[in-house]
Amino acid sequence: MSIIKTFKNGLLKENPIFIQLLGMCPTLAVTTTATDGLAMGLATTTVLVSANLVVSLLRKLIPSKIRIPSYIVIIATFVTLIDMFMHAYAIDLYRSLGLFIPLIVVNCLILGRAESFASKNTPVRAISDGLGMGIGFAWALTLLGSVRELLGAGSIFGISVFGEAFKPAIIMILPPGAFLALGILVGIYNWLSKKRAANA
Amino acid sequence: MREIVKLGLILLLITSAAAVVLGLSNAATIGTIEAVEAKASEVARKEVLPEAENFKTLEEEKLNEILNGNEKVLEVYAGYKGENIVGYAIKTATPGYGGNVEVITGISTEGKITGIKVVKHQETPGLGANATSAEFQNQYKDMNTSKEITVVKTQPSNENEIQALTGATITSDAVTNGVNIARELFNNKLSK
Repeated sequence: MSIIKTFKNGLLKENPIFIQLLGMCPTLAVTTTATDGLAMGLATTTVLVSANLVVSLLRKLIPSKIRIPSYIVIIATFVTLIDMFMHAYAIDLYRSLGLFIPLIVVNCLILGRAESFASKNTPVRAISDGLGMGIGFAWALTLLGSVRELLGAGSIFGISVFGEAFKPAIIMILPPGAFLALGILVGIYNWLSKKRAANA
Repeated sequence: MREIVKLGLILLLITSAAAVVLGLSNAATIGTIEAVEAKASEVARKEVLPEAENFKTLEEEKLNEILNGNEKVLEVYAGYKGENIVGYAIKTATPGYGGNVEVITGISTEGKITGIKVVKHQETPGLGANATSAEFQNQYKDMNTSKEITVVKTQPSNENEIQALTGATITSDAVTNGVNIARELFNNKLSK
């Protein structure tokens, strides 16, 4: 597979959220607003690309018997770095994402890509896979956050859309709303890709 | 046996490298983090007690007496204008829906609430998190410290009543409890 194809793979065909259903914990928990979804997506992308690169560079050094602890240490290191730097230089975003930054460590998407892709491929391809999967994750989180914010608070990215008269469906920004929105979006996504496959 | 040693050494190598990287970046960021946090607190104190020009924490003896008696009180600052104390900024932590809600309450020496600010919380976005809105927080402004503040669900008709946030009574209670603790602290310990 070419580098560009690897990159595109994560965007649509194997989208981490809509197709692989990976990393559901942050997906469901932080997508109450479009901004939080986007920020979480970008933070995850940064960790994913860095972890993929290091895992790929060390792939000949790490014996398969201790690969899982090694990957976790590498991932946790990058997450802690992001946590410290965000705290120092982007305090508002840090406050808003709060608890979910440390939780990137246990996002199975990152461990999954390290295990199934980065540990078997060259650094350049591992980076392009990380970018593709990360951006695929980020746009899906942003979409989910936008839908929930629009229905649950009547705004997108904090900007009011429907005005005062709109009575928001508060359930959409509560936990059940996350499942409802995700289920419907996954349904639409699969319906669209099936239709495309049938036409092609 | 030899394999286990080898595996252990490789893991040791990886974790040591991680520790070095983390140690260095911790050293690089800790100063900035402390400065940013201190500045954020200073800004919040100014917001709730605009009259004060600078803030000093209470004398250790008095502060310890207050803090030991009540674990819900986190910080007590006296606000100065020139040499004179014009009021106090009191930070409290009270349990809300998703953990402790930290509130800074500003009280002037005359016994009026000059402002409150929710500085830290894990309340539900869209519901309890609205406690950080100016609309909610401004309700407390200019209330008298002599009377307990209560939460009502409808438009307040009496003195010292706060209208609860829609769908977030627990959060509204938590904020109000914090303000009440600050209020009592002022009445019993600070105003004398």
